Amino acid sequence: MTDQPFSIDRGTLLDAYRTMKTIREFEERLHVDVARGDIPGFVHLYAGEEAAATAIMLHLGDNDRIASTHRGHGHCIAKGVDVKEMMGEIRGKASGACKGKGGSMHIADLSKGMMGANGILGAGAPLACGAGLAAKRRGDGGVAISFVGDGASNQGMFLESLNLAAVWNLPVVFVVENNGYAESTSVEWAVACDSYVDRASGFGMPGVTVDGTDFFAVHEAAGEVIARAREGGGPSLLECKMYRFYGHFEGDAQTYRAQGEVENLRENHDCIKIFRAAVTGAGVISAAELDTIDAQALALVNEAVEHATAAPMPGPEDLETDVYISYA
Amino acid sequence: MRVGLVANPFSARDIRRVIANAASLQITDRANIVLRVLACLGACGVSEVVAMPERGGIRAHVERGIERARNVGDERFTPVRHLDFPVTGTVEDTRRAVRAMVAEGVAAIVVLGGDGTHRAVAMDCGRVPIACVSTGTNNAFPDHREPTVTGLATGLAVTGRVPPGIAYASNKRLLVSINGTEHHPALVDVALVAERVVGARALWRPESLREIYVTFADPSVIGLSAIAGFLEPVGRREADGLMVDIGSPAMDGAASDGSPAVRLRAPIAPGWLRTIGVHGWRRLPPRSPRIPRLRAGMIALDGEREVGFGEDDEVRIVLEPDAVRTVDVEACMDYAARNGLFRVGERRALEAASGPGG
Repeated sequence: MTDQPFSIDRGTLLDAYRTMKTIREFEERLHVDVARGDIPGFVHLYAGEEAAATAIMLHLGDNDRIASTHRGHGHCIAKGVDVKEMMGEIRGKASGACKGKGGSMHIADLSKGMMGANGILGAGAPLACGAGLAAKRRGDGGVAISFVGDGASNQGMFLESLNLAAVWNLPVVFVVENNGYAESTSVEWAVACDSYVDRASGFGMPGVTVDGTDFFAVHEAAGEVIARAREGGGPSLLECKMYRFYGHFEGDAQTYRAQGEVENLRENHDCIKIFRAAVTGAGVISAAELDTIDAQALALVNEAVEHATAAPMPGPEDLETDVYISYA
Repeated sequence: MRVGLVANPFSARDIRRVIANAASLQITDRANIVLRVLACLGACGVSEVVAMPERGGIRAHVERGIERARNVGDERFTPVRHLDFPVTGTVEDTRRAVRAMVAEGVAAIVVLGGDGTHRAVAMDCGRVPIACVSTGTNNAFPDHREPTVTGLATGLAVTGRVPPGIAYASNKRLLVSINGTEHHPALVDVALVAERVVGARALWRPESLREIYVTFADPSVIGLSAIAGFLEPVGRREADGLMVDIGSPAMDGAASDGSPAVRLRAPIAPGWLRTIGVHGWRRLPPRSPRIPRLRAGMIALDGEREVGFGEDDEVRIVLEPDAVRTVDVEACMDYAARNGLFRVGERRALEAASGPGG
């Protein structure tokens, strides 16, 4: 019987904070660099949503697979993809995680179980079912996580994947990151069944809704659904209610937002502030320790930008490489 | 004659669906419950229902149901007016709506939710009675009953067909105060847990439980009240509550103070039987503040972790009598049946609607 304030050990809490803060600094830097014209292509920022990816990924190892979304930087960092390689990839450099050929929406690192961000909405769900089926047939105890936004959750392939995972009893967890907007359309106008728990019930799997801005809420719920999947208990749906601090994409004028909405979110619903208050309030971690991590996270992102800036672009000779893979 | 309506679209959505196969009543079913209640209130002559606005889907389905009925000439539902304020999707909507309903002078408030929703309503409803409809997870406070009957009883009560002395029951509550300033009520139970996080809110791990205080100890409900109820049943209408000192699930022999230890198997969530070690328990008399033994942790109110406290905080827990009024459905129906209130043509009976079978 423990009277510790948290069921998560101190070292893990420090790691979690470092991950959240690294994601935040990464996204804040991209916001600036896109505006400067330094980044080719579109980027969709995860700032404000860090607690979900971080808390979920703490329950996973490299043997577990995730299928991400167009808003995938947070998932990548939390799953352990190298930050320098990510920044290189987003800038289209040969030093990138996919040698600069994928960009923001196609960052992948199979060695870390990160099957890829995905430019096609909802397309990660069938991939997660495939990874889940593979893990089940191998019997290696692996699980697969499909991340999907509230908008993409209405896509046919997502709904088909819920069905497939349920009938085949796959070790898959469907995480709906509900940030309230499908691009510019409010979730209230776009999701007919109103509740993701209802939607899960319709496919014969349990669903749970948690406050996605509360790291500890996501960590507890994710722990239960992932353990259940790992032990053969089948798929679940986890809805994380959260907020994004930036637009759908960088450059989005966000005319669909109320005046002062983002300021209120940053002030009162920032998952990193909430985490800081919880761990310092309980006296487990000092503010000074967190400040040190803040500085280290910023330094890491700055270093990643320098590294990416200095890296070469892919050459013409790279055009026809990595197109097909040999399974022989 | 107006009646308030609070229908919570967010109850029954927590982790207990995953760990304990708890029910998740669909939004459309919640809307159908509201329509059944509206039909009964309409039959009793209630002129208007004042409802909490929400964007979880119940309102849209209810309004569609009323419109469809009207389109075919069916006017059996009491008209619904939703209060006009910005929806936040939090418990604040419930509290704000209830304050507005009380200000408008509603005769009762029909509540669809679990213990948590009823708790939120009770925080602001004052002496206005609550008609309880269970759509939550643990539901020790609201009875499990077909809402048609609750709707009928409420209609009979608010229209004065059943005398108030019979129609309404008084209920105890627990009040937790922190440093004499913050006050947090609970209708069924207050639990002190060692962990310092709200987390996924629900309680399903007995290892973290330290102390439980209940307004009533009912062995025929689930949740923390069941633990107390398995030790010593205490009725809803009795003056006392019960307090339970929780130990380790693995404990055996005697407790540290020499008292005999008890180990219980109790359903702390639907279908979720867990072993609970108990150091001791005793009656909790009304109006007698207790100081918890736990020095720091979280306070769970009606089964959900809500408020943290530290070693420097002064926490007091007191049982208050006659704190919340509810519609006594069984008493209303019994009185109505014995006095012919359902017999068409009798004085004070429900009016028969026009049309075949109406």
